[in-house]
Amino acid sequence: MFKDPDFGKKLKNQKALLLLSIPFVVYVLIFCYVPLFGWIMAFQKYKPNLGFTKSQFVGLDNFKFLFRNKDFMLCVRNTLMMGVINLVLGTICPIIFAILLSEFRFNMGKKFVQTVSYLPHFLSMIILTGIVFDVLSMENGTLNKLLMGIGVVDKPIQWLAEPKYFWWIVGFANRWKETGWDSIIYLAAITSINPDLYEAASIDGAGRMRRIWHITLPGLKPTILILLIMNVGNVLNVGFELQYLLGNDLVKSVAQTIDIYVLNYGIGKGNYSIGVAAGIFKSLVSIILVFIANTSAKAMGEESLY
Amino acid sequence: MAELTKKIVSTPNAPITQAEKPKRDAKDIGSKTKHSIVSRRTKGDNIFDAFNTVFMLVFSIVILYPLLNMVAVSFNDGLDALKGGITLVPRVFTLKNYQHVLSQQNMLTAAKVSVLRTVIGTLSATLVTSLLAYILSRKEFLFKKQLSLLYVVTMYVSGGLIPIFLVYKALGMTNSFMVYILPGMVPAFSMLVLRTYMNGLPDSLAESAMMDGAGHLTIFIRIIFPLCMPVVATVALFTAVGQWNSWFDAMLYNRMNSDLTTLQYELMQILNSITSSKQQTAETMKNASATVTPTSVRAAATVVTALPIVILYPFLQRYFVAGLTIGGVKE
Amino acid sequence: MRRLKRAAAGLMALAMIVGMSACGKTGEKEQKTDTVKTADGKEVEVKVFSAFFAVPGNEVEEGNVVQDKIAEKIGAKCEMEWLVGQTAEEAIGVMIAGGEYPDFVDASSGMKSMVDAGAFIAIDELWDNYPNIKNFYTEAEWNSIRAEDGHIYIIPQFGKTWDHDTTCVHNDEAFWIQTRVLKWAGYPKIETLDEYFDLIERYIEANPTMPDGTPNIGYEILCDDWRYFCLENAPFFLDGYPNDGCCIVDRDTHQAIDYNTTDTAKRYFKKLNEEYKKGIVDQETFTMKYDAYISKLSTGRVCGMVDQHWDFNDAELAIKADGNLDDCTYVPVGITIDKGVEEHWHANPALDVSNGVGITVSCKDPEGAMKFMNDLLDPEILTLRNWGIEGVNYNKGEDGVFTRTEEMRANANEQTYINKNLCPYAYFPNYSNGMDHDGVNGCDANHQATEFYESLNDEIKECFDAYGVKTYVEMLNAAPENEAWYPMWSYSNALTTDTPEGLVWTEMANVKHEYLPKVCIADDFDSAWNEYLTEYKNKCDVDGTLLPAFNKEIQRRIDVAAGK
Repeated sequence: MFKDPDFGKKLKNQKALLLLSIPFVVYVLIFCYVPLFGWIMAFQKYKPNLGFTKSQFVGLDNFKFLFRNKDFMLCVRNTLMMGVINLVLGTICPIIFAILLSEFRFNMGKKFVQTVSYLPHFLSMIILTGIVFDVLSMENGTLNKLLMGIGVVDKPIQWLAEPKYFWWIVGFANRWKETGWDSIIYLAAITSINPDLYEAASIDGAGRMRRIWHITLPGLKPTILILLIMNVGNVLNVGFELQYLLGNDLVKSVAQTIDIYVLNYGIGKGNYSIGVAAGIFKSLVSIILVFIANTSAKAMGEESLY
Repeated sequence: MAELTKKIVSTPNAPITQAEKPKRDAKDIGSKTKHSIVSRRTKGDNIFDAFNTVFMLVFSIVILYPLLNMVAVSFNDGLDALKGGITLVPRVFTLKNYQHVLSQQNMLTAAKVSVLRTVIGTLSATLVTSLLAYILSRKEFLFKKQLSLLYVVTMYVSGGLIPIFLVYKALGMTNSFMVYILPGMVPAFSMLVLRTYMNGLPDSLAESAMMDGAGHLTIFIRIIFPLCMPVVATVALFTAVGQWNSWFDAMLYNRMNSDLTTLQYELMQILNSITSSKQQTAETMKNASATVTPTSVRAAATVVTALPIVILYPFLQRYFVAGLTIGGVKE
Repeated sequence: MRRLKRAAAGLMALAMIVGMSACGKTGEKEQKTDTVKTADGKEVEVKVFSAFFAVPGNEVEEGNVVQDKIAEKIGAKCEMEWLVGQTAEEAIGVMIAGGEYPDFVDASSGMKSMVDAGAFIAIDELWDNYPNIKNFYTEAEWNSIRAEDGHIYIIPQFGKTWDHDTTCVHNDEAFWIQTRVLKWAGYPKIETLDEYFDLIERYIEANPTMPDGTPNIGYEILCDDWRYFCLENAPFFLDGYPNDGCCIVDRDTHQAIDYNTTDTAKRYFKKLNEEYKKGIVDQETFTMKYDAYISKLSTGRVCGMVDQHWDFNDAELAIKADGNLDDCTYVPVGITIDKGVEEHWHANPALDVSNGVGITVSCKDPEGAMKFMNDLLDPEILTLRNWGIEGVNYNKGEDGVFTRTEEMRANANEQTYINKNLCPYAYFPNYSNGMDHDGVNGCDANHQATEFYESLNDEIKECFDAYGVKTYVEMLNAAPENEAWYPMWSYSNALTTDTPEGLVWTEMANVKHEYLPKVCIADDFDSAWNEYLTEYKNKCDVDGTLLPAFNKEIQRRIDVAAGK
């Protein structure tokens, strides 16, 4: 770009855009990049009383501590698995829901369902887990009653005591809470699709499914892609609250996430550096994943983040 | 998409007013679509609709039941609720939980601050973020890739609690209202969603205005921004809910200033104070409460938190529910 | 459209102005003051201090009656902030980095960082004019509080007894059992673990359900995060040792012993395993969170469990409030692993030197702050803090004995009322055990024998009569004098992962969390137990790292107490 002979001229032509963008550069530098000096903590044995200047430098010791630690690697695995489940369900469910809702024929019902659907977003995790416990309880849980009612199982299952169910329970709990909320973006994007297209398709005799497949989905593609690329980078950000609140010692080996590990070994025990080191690890993984996703999207000529 | 563009471009030199906008009345579209569907219903359509109706019904029940249950618990005596078994109606009715939540002294100040930060924060963030999205959606902008990247990265990195605190302190933002507004002013997520939408708008709109000598700010405010209403509303809703729900900043930066406390922070404090915690001694349990419990107060606090958004939502909803508003861009 | 544009321009300008003006702010330099109204309507100016306590707590509202009354008498009050949504270390870490503190801080588990950062002023350099503070502890006790540099930076607030201990409720850990179970069996003497479970087994067999048909549950094991003490620490109690929390301390050799691998531990977990398989232990017990546990207890279905009384207090309140479950409340039984072992479940209030309130370097008026704490220990003020206002919160009889009416009792339990009217200044030094300074009353309503008896229901009275006791505490052995090293948990609680022993301590908890529940539900107990032991030995260098650190601390405490 800089070798472009017209570069100077182009630059001049877009003085207004450049001027407008300067505050945004300054802003992001101050609010997001200056605080990154804190990453220095990852290479120190940070003590609050000594601060950034006087804390002892330990090189890569904190990283070594993490990566030589079997428990941490287990946490990375769990985080990754739950992240992938979240990514897949979190992409598919809201899209399907948004499309079904937009195709829902009763206007009153449509408004009602939409209002209901986003409400769980406002529940705190602790309330969400309360609901999950009620549903999965061995004694009176709805799910066990249902399964026994239709004869799938003959005695109640201890859902939360079995490691094999845990990731899925977390995944579906998240979906129950966020599907409606996440679908709002897609609903908004659907409004931008030209209704003439539907009309034309309808006249051509295309059925519902075909119209969804050939008009709605392609219309949503840019939004889907952008969100997908963004969320690929969040694959390690599965948090800790839900896992912590739903988990118990019997499923500990699958329920521990990076964030929980950081709380146990880092911040919760006065060891800040471990937390920052784990944070840097997560950031690097995120950025690499986003880079890969973005580059692939670009290579396919699709919408990309940058 | 392509057709839409063509249509709009058809009269490039006309003044940019309602003329080229995909002008359709919501009602109009509704009836048209319905008509065409009715006239050309296939068997597949019927199956689809039947399935969809059942799905929506089940979905609503699955979502609503726990919510209504929570509302029932919020109106139920706390100690009684501990035993469980409450369904859709309170067993021992009481308003104590709400009384407990709402009787805190700072509630009025807190509500005021919360409303202010939500309104100011949402308006400013939405406008400013849209402007950035506009800049980055200009195809001719030379640094759009670099600037985008600069913002994309912010979604995945953080300096951590202490460094951020120190920076804000140096900026004089501790103990001030600005700490609620400035840090969240340009969320990268919103920017990207807005930019994607703007990229989908026909270039011709801006180009023709440019030929008429309009500046970027004018184009942004008069043409692009209004056209983006559905997604602007989405982003505004996300920001507003974020503002309304956040309490951590109030706790971290304005803890000692009760004039800047927020509703969510007060609610957090209430919940915190009645949740028995890791205590070694009996002394700290001295003021343990006997009439309300964490569960019941939590339920009441959740209802109090969600209510304003539930009330506000229908006003925004017209922008999201596809098919009701297609093309309904108003000046 | 134009409106939108104008609004946009206005907003941007506003953002800039506020942004700039925010930069010019400076902190306050003077000690803050405020006015309070006295009873006769005059306004007096009082100093206002600020405090941050890194624990969750109750806010005292502006205009709180007792707070203002105290302020009027001593010319000062304190605005208190509590920990919300953070760990204590996090909150304190940010505070230290920022270098600004409220006047008083109790840093909880961040205490050491605060002291290391030089955030506290030395109290012992200022205390000569403040006898209530100086005499709050004995010389030996102060010595154990001293920091490494010899100064005193914090004052532990709790556990101080005036005159003699008047505790009626055993607020600590025990094997608890419902009075209905004891009643059904004719109030037998329960001394060992085997007898305890045998009784519950027989009861459940004879009474599988509650009167309303809900199945009874024999035994619950709470195993939620840090609350897993209900599962893991019974072995040292069963061996007759007090709650040192992290180890057994041999009374003769003063050596720390790991209680996790003792023979008693194995027998205890084997018993739990058997009872789980028999269905006496709730099958859901290990997936249960604290909320669910309290919920189950509240229904009155659960016959027994190990817990600290304060931990299940909510459930007991719910049972009492029900009205039909009077025989479902719990009494403690002092059981051991074998007959002949002397139990030591009840202990005297402990001096926890790992926590306390200090005056920070940001305080503009340290002398005033000292005077404030000193005045709070004045007998008259102590009564105000612990009992409230005479005629409003309690009545004084002709014999000087404090009593409360039903309404006063109800008020004292009503959170909204408390926030507006009562102000115990709970995290400032207080005589929280024993007697009021008048020598007639208990230090507060919970330590007032007459008040206590009023609150008992007939079922408990009957049970107490059967065992010939008058209080919960008497159900257990009387506590001997605390040893010099007691309680060792005040040391282990302060361990961080910065040190090798802290790492072992954290790792140990991890292994126990993962394996102990598995041991309890295993089909083959012995192999599960061995698996646990192998993992435990592999991962945690207890003998080589942790116990020596404990031993060093034990010896240090013995030396300090001896004045060395």
